[in-house]
Amino acid sequence: MIDPALAGRPLDRVRFPLDRSKLAELARALHDPDPVWHDPEAATAAGFARVPLPPTATVLADHWRDGGALAPALAIGADLGRLLHGEAEWEFVAPVGVGDELVADARVAAIEQREGRRGGTMTLATLETEFRNGAGEVVVRRRDTLIETSV
Amino acid sequence: MSTLTIPVAPPRLAVGDTMPATTIGPLTRTDIVRYAGAGGDLNPIHHDEPMAQAAGFPSVFAMGMLPAGVLGQRVARWVGPENLRTFGVRFTGQVWPGDELTFSGAVAAVENGVARLELLVQSSTGGAVLRGWATTSIEVGP
Repeated sequence: MIDPALAGRPLDRVRFPLDRSKLAELARALHDPDPVWHDPEAATAAGFARVPLPPTATVLADHWRDGGALAPALAIGADLGRLLHGEAEWEFVAPVGVGDELVADARVAAIEQREGRRGGTMTLATLETEFRNGAGEVVVRRRDTLIETSV
Repeated sequence: MSTLTIPVAPPRLAVGDTMPATTIGPLTRTDIVRYAGAGGDLNPIHHDEPMAQAAGFPSVFAMGMLPAGVLGQRVARWVGPENLRTFGVRFTGQVWPGDELTFSGAVAAVENGVARLELLVQSSTGGAVLRGWATTSIEVGP
C-alpha cells in the first residue's frame, strides 16, 4: 500500500544516454519507422540541426534504473495488483537531442487519499522527474499520476 | 508516413485544424513485447499470459505508455518535435491484443504564439482509451 508519509521525498537519480540504438528501437516500437528519429543524415536531410527526440524519449531512463519502469511504484509501497497509471505529462523546457546524457531526479510530489467508489480508500501519488543536461540545466520535466484503487 | 515532411520551424495553425487521423493494428502481442523491450516496462501483466489470466484479465494488455508514445509520435510529426512545449495523456481504457487504435487531434485554442491541442486515441473495441493534450509554438504573423 502506498505510504502517505513518503510525500515530498526524493525517489532516485538515474544518469542515462540518449543513444541512437535505443532511440531507433523506441521509434520502431512506436510504429514510426522514419529514420529521422535516429539517423543524423536523415535528420539533416529533413532540415533538423540534429536528430530530434520523440516526446516520450525520456522513458529510456527506465533502462538505467534498478527494477526498471516499476521501480518508482515499488519504492512508494504500491500494491501492483491495484495500481493504475492515471496520467503522464511532459514539459519540454530546453532543446535536447541524440548524444546528450541526462540525469533524472525523481521525487514524490504529493500523495492524496480519497474515498473509493466502492468504499475503502483510493490513493493518488504524483511523481515528478526533472531531467538535466550535462550543463546542469533542466531540459524536461515529467509528471506521473499513479492510482492505487481501494481493496 | 515517412514521406511526409515534419515541421522544423513552428507551423501555422488555426483553431479547428486537425491532425491527420491514422490507425495502427490489429495490435499484436509482439507489438506489446517490442515496446516492453524498447521502453523498459517489464511488468509481466503485459507479456505473461498465464500471469495476466491468474490476475483476472482475459489476456495480457498493452501498457498505457505504448499508445501514449505512438500518439506522441503522431503529434510530433504534425507540429514538429522541437516546437512542442508540453504533452500530456490521461489513460481512460485498456488496450488489448487485436485492437485497432485510431489517433486523432485538433487545435482547440490559439493564443500568444501557442496552440493548445486536444488529442484522442480510440480503440476498435473500447472507445476512448486515452485522452491527450499538448501545447506547441506556432508561427506568428500575417
